Amino acid sequence: MKNILNYSYYPGCSLHASAQEYEASTRGLFKALKIGLHEVPDWFCCGATPAHNVDELLSLALCAKNLSLAENVAGDLAVACAACFSRLKTTQHRLIDNDAKRQQVEKAIDGPVPLGKKVKHLLEILARDYGLERLQSAVQKPLAGLKVACYYGCLLTRPPEVPELDDCEAPTIMEEVLKATGAEPVSWSHRMECCGANFTLSRPGVVLKLSGDILASAKAAGADCIMVACPLCHGNLDIRQGGIEQASGTRFDLPVFYITQLLALACGVSTERLGLESMIVSPMPLLREKSLL
Amino acid sequence: MKHSKMQLSAETMNLGFVKKVELLSGSSVRRCFQCGKCSAGCPMRSFMEHPPNRVVRLLQLGQYERVLAGRSIWYCASCETCSTRCPNKVDLAAIMDALRKLSWDAQGPSKESYVQLANRLFIENIRTYGRQYEMRLAAVFNVKSGQFLKDLMLGPKLITRGKLRMFHQKNRNIGEIEKIFSRIEEMRKNGEAP
Ligand code: SF4
Ligand code: SF4
Repeated sequence: MKNILNYSYYPGCSLHASAQEYEASTRGLFKALKIGLHEVPDWFCCGATPAHNVDELLSLALCAKNLSLAENVAGDLAVACAACFSRLKTTQHRLIDNDAKRQQVEKAIDGPVPLGKKVKHLLEILARDYGLERLQSAVQKPLAGLKVACYYGCLLTRPPEVPELDDCEAPTIMEEVLKATGAEPVSWSHRMECCGANFTLSRPGVVLKLSGDILASAKAAGADCIMVACPLCHGNLDIRQGGIEQASGTRFDLPVFYITQLLALACGVSTERLGLESMIVSPMPLLREKSLL
Repeated sequence: MKHSKMQLSAETMNLGFVKKVELLSGSSVRRCFQCGKCSAGCPMRSFMEHPPNRVVRLLQLGQYERVLAGRSIWYCASCETCSTRCPNKVDLAAIMDALRKLSWDAQGPSKESYVQLANRLFIENIRTYGRQYEMRLAAVFNVKSGQFLKDLMLGPKLITRGKLRMFHQKNRNIGEIEKIFSRIEEMRKNGEAP
C-alpha cells in the first residue's frame, strides 16, 4: 500500500514513556490514513521548557542538533508534542535573522542549522495537508453525541510568530478536526489557559489551581471529556486529576484524550491500539455509554 | 521589600543591567509603557509579588535587585501570553528566561528557585541519557527537595499503566550530546557566548 503523504517524525521523550498512548494512537491513525511517519534515528531530548528556562544557548543547540539529524530523513518534520514543536520552531525563528546567535549555535553543534526544514504539528498535517474533507470521509464510526472540550494550552498558538498554526487568541483548528469525527466541540472559557505544565514536579500547588480551573470550566460547559495535543497538558489534566479532585473536593471524572485517540477511534482503528488502558481517568464507562466501543 | 521606599537617582538607574537583559533576551525592556496587558492575562500573577508589568518597570528604574531576590521570576510558567499581547513587542517571556539565568548565575539556588532544581535535573538527564528518564527525574527531585513521599501514591499506578519506564532509553548519539555540552562550556570560558 502506497502512502498518500510522507513525513520525517520526531516523537519526543514523552511519547516513548508517559505518553505512550499518544504514540500508539498516532501510529494507528496515520497508518489507517496512509500517512507515512519515518522516525528520525537517534533523536534526543529537545530540552523543552527547562532548557530555555536555564540556558537559552543550550536549548537552541539541542534543537538545532535534532533538526540536523532530521535532515537525513526526507519530508517535512512531523512533531506530536506541543512543547517539542514550539522549541524546534522557536529555534528556527530565533536564528533566522540573528547571525551572531546562529554562529554560536553552529559552533556548539559543529555544523550548520537546517533553518529551512519545515516543522509541523500533527494537527496541522491532519487539518491542512491531509485535509478536513479527506478526514471526514475516512471516518467509519462517527463519534455522535460525544461532547468534547478542545484544549489548546499555551504553545500551539503562542507567541503568534512562532507556531504559525492558527490565530493566537481565537484558534479553531482543533474544533475543526474534531467536527470531522462527528463529535461536538463545546464552547468554553479555558481553551487556552496555562495548565502549569512546567511546575508539575516542583510546585504541585500551582498545577492544582491552574489545571483545577481548566477542569472545572470544561465540566461547567457540559463536556464529557477533554481533547489535548500535548503530553505535558495531558499529564496535568489526566494524571493529576485525582489529586485535584481530592484537594478541591469536586468530582470531575473527565477522561482526557489525545487528538489521535479520538480520530483513530472514529476512523475504525482497533481499540486495542489506542492505549485507552493507559489513561489514568478511565474512558471506558463514557465510551460504553455512548456506544463507541 | 515590596513596599519599601524607592530612592531614584541617575546612579540607581543602572542602564547596564537593562542592557544585559536586553542582550540576553533579545527583547527591549525600555519600550514598555506600562499598559498592564501582560499582567491582565498572566495566569501566574496571583502567585507573584510583582506582576509582570511591574517587573519590567522595576528593571527600567534600576531596581533589579528587588526582582532577582523575589519570587515572580520563579513563578512564571513560560506560557507566552504576555509576549503575545504586548502592544510594544516586549518579549516578557524571554525577559523572564534572562532574569532566571542571571539570578541563578549570581546567587545559585534559593527557596524561591525551587523549580530551577527540577530544571537542572532535567538537563542533567539529557547530558547523561540523551532523553528524559521520567522515573529518575521524579525520584531524584523528591530526594533532593526533601519531598520523599509526595508522589509515592501516584508512583505505583503510573508504573502499572506503563507510564514511568524503569529503564532509560538508550541513544547512540550520546557522545554527540556530551560534545555539545562541553563545547558550550568551552565557549563560555573563552567569553564567546553568554
Ligand atoms: S504589555 Fe508590554 S507595554 Fe504593556 S505593560 Fe506589559 S510589557 Fe509593558
Ligand atoms: S510567560 Fe510568565 S509572565 Fe508571561 S504571562 Fe505567562 S506566566 Fe505570566
